[in-house]
Amino acid sequence: MKTTEGTGARGHGGTNVWTHGCAAALAAVILAGVVPAVAQAQRRPAQAPAPAAPAAPQQVAPAVTPPQASGPGPLGIAIPPAGGLVAITNATILTASHGTIERGTILIRDGRIAAVGQNVQVPAGAQVIDGTGRYVMPGIIDSHSHTAIEAVNEGTNSITSEVRVEDVLRQDGGSIYRELAGGVTTIQVYHGSANTIGGQSSTLKLRFGLPVDSLLFQGAPPGLKFALGENVRQSNFQPQPGQTRRYPASRMGVEELLRDAFTRAQAYRREWQAYDAARRALRRGQAEPVPPRRDLQLDPLVEILEGRRLAHVHAYRSDEMLMFLRVARDFGFRVASFEHGLEGYMITNELVAAGTGVSTFADFWAYKLEAWDALPQNAALMAERGVVVSINSDDDERARRLYQEAAKTVNYGGATEDEALRMITLNPARQLGIESRVGSIDVGKDADLAIFSGHPFAPGSRVEKTLIEGRVFFDRDTAPTLENLMEQTRRQPARQGGRPVTSAGGAR
Amino acid sequence: MKRTPEDRGTGARRHRGTGIPLALTVALVAAAPLAAQQPAAAHSPAVYAIRDATIVPVVGARIAGGTIVLRNGRIDAVGAGVQVPADAQVIDGTGLFVYPGLFDAGTTLGLVEIGSVPGGDDRRELGDFNPHNDALTAVNPASEIIPTVRVNGVTTAMTAARGGVIAGQAALIDLAGWTAQEMAVLPRAGMALSFPRIAAAQRGGPGAPRRSESEQREELDRQTRALRDYFGDALAYADVGARLAAGGTGTQEVSLPMEAMVPVVRGESPVIVEADNVEQIRGALALADSFHLRIILRSGREAWRLADTLAARRIPVIVGPTTNSPGDGDPYDAVYALPGVLARAGVTIAFQTASASDARNVAYNAALATAYGLDPDEALRALTINPARIFGVADRYGSLEAGKVANLIVTNGDPLDPRTQIRHVFIRGRPIPQDDRHNRLYQQYRARPR
Repeated sequence: MKTTEGTGARGHGGTNVWTHGCAAALAAVILAGVVPAVAQAQRRPAQAPAPAAPAAPQQVAPAVTPPQASGPGPLGIAIPPAGGLVAITNATILTASHGTIERGTILIRDGRIAAVGQNVQVPAGAQVIDGTGRYVMPGIIDSHSHTAIEAVNEGTNSITSEVRVEDVLRQDGGSIYRELAGGVTTIQVYHGSANTIGGQSSTLKLRFGLPVDSLLFQGAPPGLKFALGENVRQSNFQPQPGQTRRYPASRMGVEELLRDAFTRAQAYRREWQAYDAARRALRRGQAEPVPPRRDLQLDPLVEILEGRRLAHVHAYRSDEMLMFLRVARDFGFRVASFEHGLEGYMITNELVAAGTGVSTFADFWAYKLEAWDALPQNAALMAERGVVVSINSDDDERARRLYQEAAKTVNYGGATEDEALRMITLNPARQLGIESRVGSIDVGKDADLAIFSGHPFAPGSRVEKTLIEGRVFFDRDTAPTLENLMEQTRRQPARQGGRPVTSAGGAR
Repeated sequence: MKRTPEDRGTGARRHRGTGIPLALTVALVAAAPLAAQQPAAAHSPAVYAIRDATIVPVVGARIAGGTIVLRNGRIDAVGAGVQVPADAQVIDGTGLFVYPGLFDAGTTLGLVEIGSVPGGDDRRELGDFNPHNDALTAVNPASEIIPTVRVNGVTTAMTAARGGVIAGQAALIDLAGWTAQEMAVLPRAGMALSFPRIAAAQRGGPGAPRRSESEQREELDRQTRALRDYFGDALAYADVGARLAAGGTGTQEVSLPMEAMVPVVRGESPVIVEADNVEQIRGALALADSFHLRIILRSGREAWRLADTLAARRIPVIVGPTTNSPGDGDPYDAVYALPGVLARAGVTIAFQTASASDARNVAYNAALATAYGLDPDEALRALTINPARIFGVADRYGSLEAGKVANLIVTNGDPLDPRTQIRHVFIRGRPIPQDDRHNRLYQQYRARPR
């Protein structure tokens, strides 16, 4: 099974390249005079989340460092210098928001798109990337990923809203780099689906090689992962002898658990409201009211209730999606997205009415019972009927070829190419509340771009360069390839290509 | 099943605006039987013609404005000047392309339905050596997965069990037929063998202590010795059997596993060896040398290290799935670039998905390889004539030539392009209805009032 979800913790067989590359990378960053965004990043305490409304684009560091060489990062790949003035010229530009521009130029200033069009002047001193014959699309947004984290599930309890993806981030060298090589620039990292409430998600940019906190997408609204169905009720789970099964074991129990959790969150919220009211009404000489006990598990649920955190819900079957929508209606919050939503095509009316998007697979199915009614036409049919649809990977490998996954929707169900393109760019951005920053090629947005050798949906096309905020984080021209390795092997015939035995080898 | 589709057999099409005259579509579908699985019925007309199409025969040059005639399950004629017979059902192929039906050269089709439901999973038998098991025995001809694969252009598949060292005989099947036996192109297409490897030896179940490197090495050596011993036993068994058959005195107790190995050690049946790292591949070559085996490599992630050897020894490689991550420390494009490297070295390659539900994506597996150095024409051969040659059925399969089995697809573009729609599929000369599970559900829910 290729899905990385499930009830078990995901194994990490490989050595962590980051531990070797960390010092060099950090040194290189410092030498290059680049202040990683992270250095200024405040770790957002759970008690004080940012507003859920997409924040205005943040100011990036005003100082523009001219491009310069920097030292090697993980996998021996150079860390790109900070972007100054960059121009991609004479390319076919798939904007995702306003059609296709033939022979167009994109001008990037300080990491943002400063101009895009056919008649854009390239200022002197700009670093020019010749886009002749190439296609440029917005950097791909993978709206469901488990890359770059040390642990996926806190599977002991079915409510673990207190745990945070951002606490277990790692520079997952190989996977991050390979996803960049598939044109991916932004990923939404969730906990697994072992729990009804799995934990707080993080939106990342794949700034390969930089210190781990540099991965965080500053300003992205916080999210919370919920899950329903087989994984939550552990239906494909063999308890060890003597082990009792965990509650809930049925879809009834899942609903009850959710309602119970939100009921507790409401009561907790009222305690704080009463406390706040008492403080406001405090008169001189009166004793200070005693604050309620802080509950790290209920805090994120209160944020959901108040619309300050986005609810992303792993669900396969239509009946349980409707159940969650009823719960959300009763507790007065909006569901940002159903994750997977393989049966979303059955309930498009209800999804549209609720304003809930669906992030799904292109055609992955039949791996478990709740994936039996999945259709490859699901994405196109939902889009046709007005649902905001994205195509995700849920898997480090599938993330490498999301452009091909999206293209399938043109065949299955007849999506237009623009619709298909939006399913891996603008639509996931909307679901994640980051569409003011990324997801299309528009002036003012982050210069997160994938440059392909041909149309991204055509067979035979591959990613040539991937840029995040104007910095080339993947470059086919300098990437270590199989061709390079064969060349090295030819030069070292004595080794005969023998491979040392390692415990890390083999299947994931 | 939770839901019973109500529009079964109503000729539901998944595509909008196909450009095919509605009357013809209805006629074609009406000619098809109601059952989803079986395209062929005695009463359906046996002669079809597709005219004015671009025909890509794979063997030979592409034909613009060509016509292909199918009669009694075979290709009757193909070419630019071919006349449409008076008794033929005609498809206007204007703007469309005709290709041979695609092969997935390594699947578990028919052996598994829903991955997590054990009752429908026959991919693995207990024990390490099961040469007498036939995959065809477990192929479920009513699998709901099979129609979803063939409507996407795959008409023929190798299907094999996995697990243990020798999993048994693989079968080559056409993806249509009333019974598994009817589907079979080759009931026994080759002996499926997984060459022992460290990673397999290391598996000890959850919670098992990881073994030291030397312990793993010992276990691997033990498994490799057991494999060689098994072939040695089979050779001895075949030898005794031959001497007895030639009139020698004495007896030999019949062993069904050994009987199944006899054609293998006689070189009559190929061995399909799954091997990834260079040690495994070398081991497979050594085994082939020792026992004079005809081998087909499968997967072969590090086969690039031995590409010239494989080419010189004419050992074909069934590559893929290309939807695998590279091994630890391998270049990011190692999986994508491998097919091109092998093909350029002169190795005959075919593609596999090693899956059932994913088998419909085999052409997209090949597409990934074309982005990293595989010639697109060679990719098409690797989905058609190459697997036909590898399995020894190229006299009947793999290209559009008169006399061959009429497995073909009619498309609106390159089958490697995920945007391309497969408009018609013919297996053994019969049109395949588009009423697979997915199209049925799609039509059903597309009709839901808003």
